[in-house]
Amino acid sequence: MKKSMLTAALGCALTGLFMLGQAATAADLKIGIMVPTTGSEATAGKDMENAILLAADEINQAGGVLGMKITTTTGDDACDPQQATAAASKLVSADVAAVVGGYCSGATLPTLKLYGDAGVPFIIAASNSTKLIDANQGNAFLVNSTGYDQVNTAVELFTSKGANKLAIIHQGDGYSEDLAKLTKEKWSSLGKEVVAYEVVNKGEQDHSSLVTRIKSKAPDAIFWTAYYADGALVIKQLRQAGYRKLIAVGDGSNSPKLLEIGGKATEGVFCFSNPTVDYLPAAKAFSEAYKKKYDQDPDAYSSLAYDGMKLMADAIQRAGSTDKAAIIKAIAATKDFKGIAGPISFTPKNTLAHSNFVTLIAKGGKWVLNK
Amino acid sequence: MSTLDILLQQLANGLILGSFYALVALGYTMVYGIIKLLNFAHGDLYMCGAFIGFLFLSLVSGLLGESWGGILCSMILSMITVGLLGVLIQRVAYLPMLAAPRLSILITALAVSMVLSNGVMALTDGEYEAFSTDLGFEGLEMGNVFVTYTQIALVVSAALLMVTLFFFINRTMYGKAMRAIAIDQDACRLMGINVNKVITLTFFIGSALAAAAGVMAGVYYGSVHFFMGFVIGLKAFTAAVIGGIGSIRGAMLGGLVLGLLEAFGTQIPFIGSEWKDVFSFGILILLLVFKPTGLLGKTEIERM
Amino acid sequence: MSKQSQTPKAAPAPSRSMLLDWLAIQRNRITILMILAGMAMVLPLVANNYVLEILTNAWFYVVLCLGLNIVVGYAGLLDLGYAAFFAVGAYTTGILTSEFGVNFWLTIPVAVVASMITGVIIGGPTLRLRSDYLAIVTLGFGEIVRICARNLEITGGASGLIGIERPSLFGLHLNQINHFYYVFLALAILACFISYRLQHSRLGRAWQYVREDEDAAEAMGIGRVAIKLYAYVIGAIFGGVAGCFFAAKMTAISPETFMFQQSVLILVGVVLGGMGKIPGVVIGAFALVLFPEVFRGIGSMRMLVFAVVMLVIILYRPEGIWPARRT
Repeated sequence: MKKSMLTAALGCALTGLFMLGQAATAADLKIGIMVPTTGSEATAGKDMENAILLAADEINQAGGVLGMKITTTTGDDACDPQQATAAASKLVSADVAAVVGGYCSGATLPTLKLYGDAGVPFIIAASNSTKLIDANQGNAFLVNSTGYDQVNTAVELFTSKGANKLAIIHQGDGYSEDLAKLTKEKWSSLGKEVVAYEVVNKGEQDHSSLVTRIKSKAPDAIFWTAYYADGALVIKQLRQAGYRKLIAVGDGSNSPKLLEIGGKATEGVFCFSNPTVDYLPAAKAFSEAYKKKYDQDPDAYSSLAYDGMKLMADAIQRAGSTDKAAIIKAIAATKDFKGIAGPISFTPKNTLAHSNFVTLIAKGGKWVLNK
Repeated sequence: MSTLDILLQQLANGLILGSFYALVALGYTMVYGIIKLLNFAHGDLYMCGAFIGFLFLSLVSGLLGESWGGILCSMILSMITVGLLGVLIQRVAYLPMLAAPRLSILITALAVSMVLSNGVMALTDGEYEAFSTDLGFEGLEMGNVFVTYTQIALVVSAALLMVTLFFFINRTMYGKAMRAIAIDQDACRLMGINVNKVITLTFFIGSALAAAAGVMAGVYYGSVHFFMGFVIGLKAFTAAVIGGIGSIRGAMLGGLVLGLLEAFGTQIPFIGSEWKDVFSFGILILLLVFKPTGLLGKTEIERM
Repeated sequence: MSKQSQTPKAAPAPSRSMLLDWLAIQRNRITILMILAGMAMVLPLVANNYVLEILTNAWFYVVLCLGLNIVVGYAGLLDLGYAAFFAVGAYTTGILTSEFGVNFWLTIPVAVVASMITGVIIGGPTLRLRSDYLAIVTLGFGEIVRICARNLEITGGASGLIGIERPSLFGLHLNQINHFYYVFLALAILACFISYRLQHSRLGRAWQYVREDEDAAEAMGIGRVAIKLYAYVIGAIFGGVAGCFFAAKMTAISPETFMFQQSVLILVGVVLGGMGKIPGVVIGAFALVLFPEVFRGIGSMRMLVFAVVMLVIILYRPEGIWPARRT
């Protein structure tokens, strides 16, 4: 009995190892994709993966990079730090030449160490927490504008609307807390007042008591720095309780779902956003190709993910080899790369040189550019 | 707003939230009362109820429009479907485990919960679905306290459901049988009560109540998601324990108490709303340490 | 649990004169253990980083599951907030190394003390409670610890701590995955050994007695609450120490790692494998880590399949894959 159990266990362990081990077969130019394809953020992750695959297809059809065809391996970070390190190790072990991806900042953060130690060039398409800048070992590049840029855009809007008392709500995760904190610091440094700085638990539905608390502080503007699903509920309940002044949401809430869930309560809400395909004239061809291939509309971060892959291919071409250090050097030297989301150049800290944030407003159940 | 207005508004908020908690807590407490099982899957039944309500509402909206009638119809349909789902779960997962160690059956419940939430996740691709009912913000204004008609309708329907349940348990033969089984299952069997049938009925009612709460939440908050059962499951569990798990009146009371605690918890001076949950869990722990059977629970000597 | 009574079946801890006999009896078992250990030792020479990362994670969960096993399996107390102890260890190391520049190895004793104190604070007032109430109270404490970590300044708030220094061992800077593989393997072996010694100690027999019949145990002069508290505190130390090494390996920790789901996951590992049985718990921990990885290919169905398999295992083997022997 004992023995058979042990043998069985051994057998299981070996099969498991075997299945884990059969990762890499050498060929072509291998690029890793790290996005959440399962878990709560799977929708956004799959959208990014689609965009990256589309870019790779286009590159391959045009003859590939340095005469090699691009093949991809996806590592699922599930928007979870622990799973993200496993995904990053998987990609590093699969011996990818470079990695494109990164959606949840909290999950991307611990992987920087792994990619850094392995010297793998990493283009971070969506994650934009300012913590990433400090943890970067020089091999990672952010093609999304960071929190600092978003805060500037936000403060500009609040000031232009004559707001003085600001309420900030985040969701208790790294990304939204970071944005909330930066906004608070900036707003206070301008000599204005932050009357409420609150947290909402992820997945909670009833925010009525919080709404009452915020309303009693009479803020001129409310800034929701977290994601769309809970944001829609908060906005709905704020409007329901009779709050009529300015509400703005951060780029994590830039989704048509916010308007769908929130209904008419979201009318007139402002949103700061990295440029999504709808507002980019240059992205028209991409948008059509995406729709044709996947039979759905591209979502918020697809344009950045697409640009990330195209930039990576361009940098490898310029580097003239798949040597990782050479690729990193080539990415850093990028000058006004023509992405569909805007021109890409990097600061010495590997962040985007020019902010690409735009302000949107909800009108008739749709996000439109606020001008 | 004056402090009094704020407190009154929070009172209203707490009562509305509390009636949701109470509805869900009832299911926990009924199942616990009858087979001494903490049904961790209960929050997921609430979630399933919301999703099935969402499906029915999308189907019937063509026939009945997005009226209160349509909502009521899909709520009843969802209650029946989820009630049957609850019975199925009891038959498949819990019935074979009744003789197993207590811990194993708790883990079974956890596993059922994971199956339900991951099943819905796989079906919906983890997407948030938006209820199309946009119910408007008209309501009653009393001084500075504002309550929408939707909120009033929700509290009234929750109260109606609870009163019906209360009469069912106290005034009917089946209700009597339920109470008897909670006291001594073997004696009931000897007295000729069909114990299995009554347990099945208990699961049906408990699950149907969760489904009702789920549909109401979906309509009121406007979105459904595979993860939505987790937080409320946790809170309702807490509410049931505060009231004294196994006690029907306790669950209702516990729900309201927890709702009020949370509403006023956000209002404590010098402490931000981020400590709200610490406050409710802290009260729960203190209560259990000093009055372990909850507010209305019976003292019971446990022999493992 | 009343239907079975348990007699201590496994060999009592060998006295010196019995050692040879015992070795003879146990020869088969020891041979197999040696083979397994040998395999585990040479693995980094053949496996790639991904496999090592997964297996390191598996050894890590072995330590956590064995720790929880002391509370749940040995003493029979349902704990739904075990991640709290793991968090205490991880944050102790994280704060001390990143904010105060303390050497990693010196943070371990501090973390041990911190988790002991947490164990006493949580266990002290609650261990008199009924088992179902204990479940909710531990759950509540687990959430409180997580929320504190999220809200406090010193724990880095919701973003958590980054840049935790990786330790050196005899001049070797631990920064490769195969280093951590060996570190966690050593921890897991140590945890197995301590668990084994505890199980067959006087304390282990007292736990078993309390678990099977609390009243009888008390009548026999066993201090019920004190014995439970021992289990709680020892379990807490396992979690705390595992947390220290976790922080060092990840170099970044955030409150999201210590959610209720983490506690449930660890509990599932313990119960799936077989409560109270060391090899069972080890297998449970491995199943926990390997299953989702092996089935990663099926995408969003993966967790559903995992849940269904778990349900089936529990229904058909209610005492776990490899249960403790009971007569």
